[in-house]
Amino acid sequence: MRSEWVLPKGHLSYWLRQLRNRASLIAPLRVDGDIVFKSLENIHEVSLDNPALLPSPKEFLLPQQEGMFWTEGERIRPLLNKERRFIFGVRSCDVSALGLLDRFFLEGYGDPFYRERRRNTIFLSIVCNNPDPTCFCIGLGTGPYLEKGFDIQLTDLGDRYFVQAGNRQSQRLVRQWSFLFTTPRKVDYEDQYEVFLSSKARFQKRISLESVREYILAGKVRDSFWESVSERCFECGGCVYECPLCTCFTVTDRSYSFGTERVRLWDTCLFKGFTRMAGGVLPNEKRVLRTKRWYYHKLVHYPDVLGSFGCVGCGRCTVTCPGRIDMATIAIKLRDLQDNGR
Amino acid sequence: MDKILTVCPYCGCGCGLYLHVEEGRLVGVSPSRSHPVNRGSLCVKGWNAYEFVVHPDRLLKPMIREDSSGLRECSWDEALDYVAHRLAEIRDRSGPDSIGILSSAKCTNEENYLIMKFARAVIGTNNIDHCARLCHSSTVGGLAAAFGSGAMTNSISEIRDAKVLFVIGSNTTEQHPMIGMHMLDAVDRGAILIVADPRRPQIAEFAHIHLRHRPGTDVALLMGIMHVIVNEGLVDIDFVRRRTENFDAFEHVLRGFHPQAVESITGVSIEDIRRVARIYAMEKRSMLFYAMGITQHITGVDNVRACANLVMLTGHIGLPSSGINPLRGQNNVQGACDMGALPNVYSGYQTVTDPRARRKFERAWRRKLPTKPGLTVVEMTEAAYEGRLKALYITGENPLLSDPDLNHVKEAMKGLEFLVVQDIFPNETMEYADVVLPACSFAEKDGTFTNTERRVQLLTRAIEPIGDSRPDWEIIADLSGRMGYEMQYRGTYEIMEEIALLTPSYGGMLHHRLRERHGLQWPCPDVGHPGTPFLHRKKFAKGLGTFITVEFRPPAELPDEEYPFILTTGRIYFHYHTGTMCRRTAVLEREEPACYVEINPLDAERLHVRDKFPVKVSSRRGSIVVSARVTERTPEGVVFIPFHYSEAAANLLTNAALDPTVKIPEYKVCAVKVEPVMKEDRRTRPVKVVDLEDLRIT
Repeated sequence: MRSEWVLPKGHLSYWLRQLRNRASLIAPLRVDGDIVFKSLENIHEVSLDNPALLPSPKEFLLPQQEGMFWTEGERIRPLLNKERRFIFGVRSCDVSALGLLDRFFLEGYGDPFYRERRRNTIFLSIVCNNPDPTCFCIGLGTGPYLEKGFDIQLTDLGDRYFVQAGNRQSQRLVRQWSFLFTTPRKVDYEDQYEVFLSSKARFQKRISLESVREYILAGKVRDSFWESVSERCFECGGCVYECPLCTCFTVTDRSYSFGTERVRLWDTCLFKGFTRMAGGVLPNEKRVLRTKRWYYHKLVHYPDVLGSFGCVGCGRCTVTCPGRIDMATIAIKLRDLQDNGR
Repeated sequence: MDKILTVCPYCGCGCGLYLHVEEGRLVGVSPSRSHPVNRGSLCVKGWNAYEFVVHPDRLLKPMIREDSSGLRECSWDEALDYVAHRLAEIRDRSGPDSIGILSSAKCTNEENYLIMKFARAVIGTNNIDHCARLCHSSTVGGLAAAFGSGAMTNSISEIRDAKVLFVIGSNTTEQHPMIGMHMLDAVDRGAILIVADPRRPQIAEFAHIHLRHRPGTDVALLMGIMHVIVNEGLVDIDFVRRRTENFDAFEHVLRGFHPQAVESITGVSIEDIRRVARIYAMEKRSMLFYAMGITQHITGVDNVRACANLVMLTGHIGLPSSGINPLRGQNNVQGACDMGALPNVYSGYQTVTDPRARRKFERAWRRKLPTKPGLTVVEMTEAAYEGRLKALYITGENPLLSDPDLNHVKEAMKGLEFLVVQDIFPNETMEYADVVLPACSFAEKDGTFTNTERRVQLLTRAIEPIGDSRPDWEIIADLSGRMGYEMQYRGTYEIMEEIALLTPSYGGMLHHRLRERHGLQWPCPDVGHPGTPFLHRKKFAKGLGTFITVEFRPPAELPDEEYPFILTTGRIYFHYHTGTMCRRTAVLEREEPACYVEINPLDAERLHVRDKFPVKVSSRRGSIVVSARVTERTPEGVVFIPFHYSEAAANLLTNAALDPTVKIPEYKVCAVKVEPVMKEDRRTRPVKVVDLEDLRIT
């Protein structure tokens, strides 16, 4: 089955309207000075030339707060969210992150809440023509465009989009409205390639996490370095909340007069209470241990266990970290240390 | 999924955040990237600000106390009729001044204005106050006298361009995290950071100089610094001559604060005093920041005056990145003060004793208004204790945890004839309430909040009110109608219109203008005005700045043989004030579930106390048992207890000694003793240290 098409720009809003009839359509919308992901009401509010949105689209698969089940007396009613969603306008890095989230939540024991949401969500990603100053996916192979792993990928070719569908479910979304699309010609492939090249040339940050990993594994990074990093940690949890790959959550019960709801909420391993043990012992009471663990998890354990870094270079932590100890800043600091031969 | 821009309900930073709503339920929060304060960041409280809104403890229905069975649920009509009837009856029998009203720094400007109007026009008393009394009344009093305006002079976004940051008595990164973020940025860009704090807060880790003066010696320290500035000719003479008055009298007093004398009072070395004086005075873009460490003393106003004198002496005011910046605690404490929820002023700090201002409000409200300033928070407690105050109407405050010397406050509350509590959650004060009225949280109402940099921002309703709760302004307007004074507003924008008409500094603050660019900073006198990023340009709000002479007075209660430690109280990062919101947030409560006392390792060793051991902390007024946290953050001879925890309330210990001018209690210094709870032999048993080498399996 064919999986590549061209969509004239004028046809996009018609297609989006049609998609909206099938499921709830979420897109980057301009509101009060910011651009945020929310349910689409007015197609003309869609904004695609936006910086990385806060938080990442992880919020649609692992929401900040998610009901797990209700109990009333003896009865238990599971709360599985089966809403069908199209998320339009996500970035390549966020789609790359989904691959790792899937492995975390679905390999071995499958998390039913995640599975249900994942099954019912289709991501329509956009190739980044203009990466943010904070972006560094280019060093990680997670962007600015994807070769595989996407549902639907759109490349902006000026007056038209190059559309690629990565699986059968997505192909159907195009074929149902096939009259909107045309067959790609040679010039479309060439234009797409040119967009890829010019996008790659626009990155301001070029970071090799591999060299950082080697530097850490060689035992060159002293604890005093991590001390100086952790001193600046505000313990806001922002890096974890924003991260498209972080999966920490906690579980709590809310008892009302008419029943009890168990919910899970975003949490972070950067809090000392996250690993509190019975009896009140805090294995990671010192902040430096927790900060260091976060970096080790992303740079050492992820590659060991899953084969790729626990970072897709989306740059969200660079935006949100009040202490300026985000992944990119630390990687650059470590590179400088390395270059200075210390 | 919808996302609605609103303002964080926690501290005075006033960060912009989006509330996430799905099927009418709050499900999350995310920061606004374009907001000038937080710029895409939030602190942990902001990130979790959605959770408490739907907590099962929320008050859903009005309640009335039955003598036998405690509180029973009732209808709004019954509750409000009863309140109206009882308040009217007490007013007619004992006079309007037998009723007190506590407004709230958690309520919107519109609500504070209505509550203030309710007290003055409907009840007929100036007995209205709110928790600013307990945090920044020293600022309002001290800076108003010196400059004519008691607020942060600069904008938060100016911090990153400053060259010197002098932070005194503020744990900025933990209590105003987003301001802390801007400070760190400034330091990264080469600014010099000076921190003066007896404890060692996180911000001190980045300080180039950290002065650890003894608690309660701030006046001496600041005067010592000024002594050096005068002596070494670092005074901005032009500024002092053109823009200030009363310098000579001040200089005369200053002569008594020779650095040598100051060293022995404060414990800060002469060299450090000199270094700070030179650095602060010689750089032109110097910003001074202070918070509770300055204000919560019996010398609170003097501390603030000393700070004001310092910036006038050096001319560090009236320019961008140059000024004096009190960091306000509550999200709308600036607004509540601006709106005149204070016993001596109407909105915009127009004094009740000024006949012209009074006549203006009398004409607008069509009522004769009381002429005498009313009682402050702590004085109301005292009056209730003595039986002069018969009824108290409390909105969104919890004096039974936040006021000093709680045992005394309890007695006072018991003595009241009639107590109304209007809140979103049950609190300690409710135990004594005759009527409880359920109010809406920040997510269920609209209006405006004014943050610490004077930025008036729009709050947007994200969800429908929970249960039968109603926004505070609707409750007040309804109640007022039942007491024979109609308050008819179609929405909060109409209240704001009235505020703008009567309040010069809010003249241009209309809701439709505030929607753009995250609000406007006052003064904003008319609808064409773009707002004021920094104050006192070219001239002070009152004309000439006044040097007010101050003398050093030691704290009201100093340690002695029986009570050898100084207790200082404050907040911690994961919690907020009396904990009504944060302690109902799973992650925040999980992080710091119990009260503790910070104690220096050397003191701990002397007491044979180790980390996490339970200890009993007692003062002359009460005692609590908490676990010890042994840390060098707290200096020798000083202990620190957070005041969030009702089960171990630090305010059972604190001293209700008041500043003579503004009546702020001295939360930051009182004398306590610390005793281990465990038996001697358990405490002193040596810990067996296991060598890892021994554990290795061979």
